[in-house]
Amino acid sequence: MKLRLATAAALALTLTACAPSTSTPGAAPSDGGARTGTLKVWLFDEPNRAPKEKVVNEAVAEFTAAHQGTKVDIAYIAVDTRSERFKGAFNDPASAPDVVEYGNTDLPEYAAAGGLADVGPAVTAWSEGADLSPDAKSSATYEGTLLGVPWYVGVRALYYRTDIFQELGLKVPTSIAELTTAARTVRAKKPELFGVAVGGKYTYAAMPFVWDAGGDITSLNSAQSRAGLKAYTDLIADDNCPPQQCADLTGGKTVDLFASGKAAMGILGNFNRAAVDAGAAKGKYAVVPLPGSKPGSIAPAFAGGNNLGIMKNSQRPALAADFLTLLAGKKYQSEMYDAMGNLPTLKSASAVVAAKDKFVEPFITTISNGTKFVPLDPGWGKIDASAVLPTMIEKVATGKSTVEQATDEAAKQVDAALTK
Amino acid sequence: MRRVLDALAVLIAAVVIFPIYWMVLAAIKPAGEIQSLHQRPWTLSPSLDAFRRVLAVNDFGRYLLNSLIVALVVVLISGLIAFLAAVALTRFHFRFRTTILVVFLIAQMVPVEALTIPLFFLVRDLGALNTLGSLMLVHTAFTLPFAIWMLRGFVAAVPDELDEAAQLDGASRLTVLWRILFPLIAPGLAATSVFSFIHAWNDFLFARTFIISATDRQTLPMALLVFFKPDENDWGAIMAASTLMTVPVLIFFLLVRRRLVSGLGGAVKD
Amino acid sequence: MRQRFTPLWLLLPAAVVLGGLFLYPMYQLGLISVLDFRQAQVSGGQPTRFVGLDNYVQLFTDPQFWSVLLATVGFAAACVVATLAVGAGLAVLLTRISRVPRLLLSLAAMAAWAVPAVSGSTVWMFLFDTDLGFVNQLLGTEGFNWMYDRYSAFALVGAVVVWSSFPFVMVTLYAGIEAISRSVLEAAALDGASTWRTFWQIMVPMLRPVLAVVVIQSIIWDFKIFTQIYVMTRGGGLAGQNLTLNVYAYQQAFASSEYGLGSAIGVVMMLILLAVTVLYLRTLRRSGEPL
Repeated sequence: MKLRLATAAALALTLTACAPSTSTPGAAPSDGGARTGTLKVWLFDEPNRAPKEKVVNEAVAEFTAAHQGTKVDIAYIAVDTRSERFKGAFNDPASAPDVVEYGNTDLPEYAAAGGLADVGPAVTAWSEGADLSPDAKSSATYEGTLLGVPWYVGVRALYYRTDIFQELGLKVPTSIAELTTAARTVRAKKPELFGVAVGGKYTYAAMPFVWDAGGDITSLNSAQSRAGLKAYTDLIADDNCPPQQCADLTGGKTVDLFASGKAAMGILGNFNRAAVDAGAAKGKYAVVPLPGSKPGSIAPAFAGGNNLGIMKNSQRPALAADFLTLLAGKKYQSEMYDAMGNLPTLKSASAVVAAKDKFVEPFITTISNGTKFVPLDPGWGKIDASAVLPTMIEKVATGKSTVEQATDEAAKQVDAALTK
Repeated sequence: MRRVLDALAVLIAAVVIFPIYWMVLAAIKPAGEIQSLHQRPWTLSPSLDAFRRVLAVNDFGRYLLNSLIVALVVVLISGLIAFLAAVALTRFHFRFRTTILVVFLIAQMVPVEALTIPLFFLVRDLGALNTLGSLMLVHTAFTLPFAIWMLRGFVAAVPDELDEAAQLDGASRLTVLWRILFPLIAPGLAATSVFSFIHAWNDFLFARTFIISATDRQTLPMALLVFFKPDENDWGAIMAASTLMTVPVLIFFLLVRRRLVSGLGGAVKD
Repeated sequence: MRQRFTPLWLLLPAAVVLGGLFLYPMYQLGLISVLDFRQAQVSGGQPTRFVGLDNYVQLFTDPQFWSVLLATVGFAAACVVATLAVGAGLAVLLTRISRVPRLLLSLAAMAAWAVPAVSGSTVWMFLFDTDLGFVNQLLGTEGFNWMYDRYSAFALVGAVVVWSSFPFVMVTLYAGIEAISRSVLEAAALDGASTWRTFWQIMVPMLRPVLAVVVIQSIIWDFKIFTQIYVMTRGGGLAGQNLTLNVYAYQQAFASSEYGLGSAIGVVMMLILLAVTVLYLRTLRRSGEPL
């Protein structure tokens, strides 16, 4: 026994001695680095990138005019491969950019990898910094450090077909119960339609039901979470959206169903407007906040969105902060709304947008009513990647498990991922 | 009987080609006909809009070129190295020969995703990140084991007497290798090159791991990936991108087709 | 003397490339599989830690792993058998038809071969789409979701796998049959042997070396199927019912940077494949075919 222990220990020693190589995080210059040279910026690519590129190019022109001797090199990276690119940048400082756009749900993973710089001082020094709402700031804060400036948010609300509601004499739902009844009525009167398009893989449509009931991702098997989940999965049924067709739907597919006129209601985001307007539903719909279970209440929405951050390895952190605050400022936030429909995070900018376009009103109401977020923990990446929540919803929706079994199982996986 | 079989073959060919026809068709259909509950297997108003959307990707030509360069270099280098190794493994009998063969087999069994991390560090330490060379290097390594396995059969099919006779005539080993064996197994090389080409051409796992910041060294699959978002449901653009990805491989196939068929057959010993 | 050194020189380039880019990473793979190795460790944020067999224990105690393993083996076996059957059947068919149909069929097969896996999976998905799919509209089964049932989903993905991999088998075997001298086959025909008997008793034995390559390659490729499953079932199907080992490894480990666990899955996959192949090679050797 002793011998075996010794062997194991010796083995462990050798192993650590020749462990796979890792990176040494580079030190950022403390004086803010060079004020001239090329600033490397990564932004997310979009299938229709031209409008975004136009706004960004305008910002670059303004920046280089104000900063002599600088160049801004923008690279658009595919959302699908962002994780490899970011990991690569963390692991090879030489390849790292200075300013990056990143999804707010990716924050904990990047933070744990030690790749992002503290932008707290830069935001404090920024004239528009005070205009950021505390909600927005907290979604970019990890363990007390502000690691990015929220650039835009996206929230979901209830889209409904005004023509169908009028024809069937339905009222706009103000509670989950009314929503359910309205959906069933549509399906009963017009069997070729779905009442409300919901999907088993559409986590961000399901979570508002859970949050509204008082549950959360970290307590999936609580009575509240279960009640919320049941309210959602009850909609994936023959009297609204049959499991055969809806159990495996993604969010994008429900957009498709609503846009093509196959569903009377859908839980879609402000960013889905263009897709809906390109379909048969164009001009025949309106949007209200997704109701909660209490009549007149609003279910808390998931605050998705993207932040702008500075890489820890940046050799020009001061210059990077200047560019970041320019791009995240009121002027370009409102321009980005015009170009891409991205909701601003600065209060002043969202006031501008709301005054201009009535469409955003329900979304801004939803945001001001309070939003929720996924757990700020590097373990979230694992929960997301291994599809814990969709699997839970699908198991209930297809009758493979009861709500109790499915939530117990999911809660166990969530716990395991978060405590690691 | 033969007529029936001919008809059957044509029918099967039609079924096999149908998905590809559908891909090209969807790429040239106008948007309204794709999001339709009544799909027609033809279109009366073809449009190149989808192709235009895809080709609007900045630097499309450069990415295409990058992908072609990587694939062709991999085909050449891996073919050459595999040829030499295949000769060694068939013409000579030495200790560990079988072991080496089995190692080549095992090499194909490792899930490539698992190797990305060690390879990333290796490439970084070589200072080759963000270069096309890094892609050529790993794809050569990944295509080699299979290429050697395939070529072994072809080399074995060339009778030993041929090189012995040449050697008796005073030809050096090198001459035998280049002047006699190489031309004889050219069809075999064509067959293996197809695999190497497809492998290098389709990869985006390593492209996205190694090409971190150099946008001008991207390869085509990475640039087109932005359209492969089932959630966006822009089927037209997805199909147009797929068509563009397929065409170069198809051309390569047609170029080596004759040699491919005669080549693969060469693996059978008489 | 020279004779002894030549094979070494010839093998040297391959050895350098594979030693550096394969054996060394494979050694690291084994190493990482006994470490706690995540993104934080890779980028140097946290020190690596030796955890012994923890990653393997975590894997083997996960009941899902076993069901995924079972599904993978079953699915891969079905794909291998179907691919070989279709490929071999069509190869024989090719030898018995006229020139033009033969050209058409082989061109069609090569086109299917040339289509990248992502594209192939996507177009099949579109063809079988619940609402927009041509197949449902053709069959009058609008609204039927092929991905809802576990087996119909596996069957559809399997069809795509066969579609993209039978051409290799077909072309290889066809070329092999063509290489068998005509006289042998004619003699068999004169003796009155049926097609079936000629196939099993003459072609199969003569084709054994080619068959060996085709079978081993099919096993290796089909066991590692990733793209088709990942794309078509959107990452493993309804409630994970269509997960295979490679996709499972990707979800559990690589997508969330759990490299230690991922490497452990990689090692296990490699060992399973190795066992299958060695078994197959044994039977080959027993039947008198040296490697």
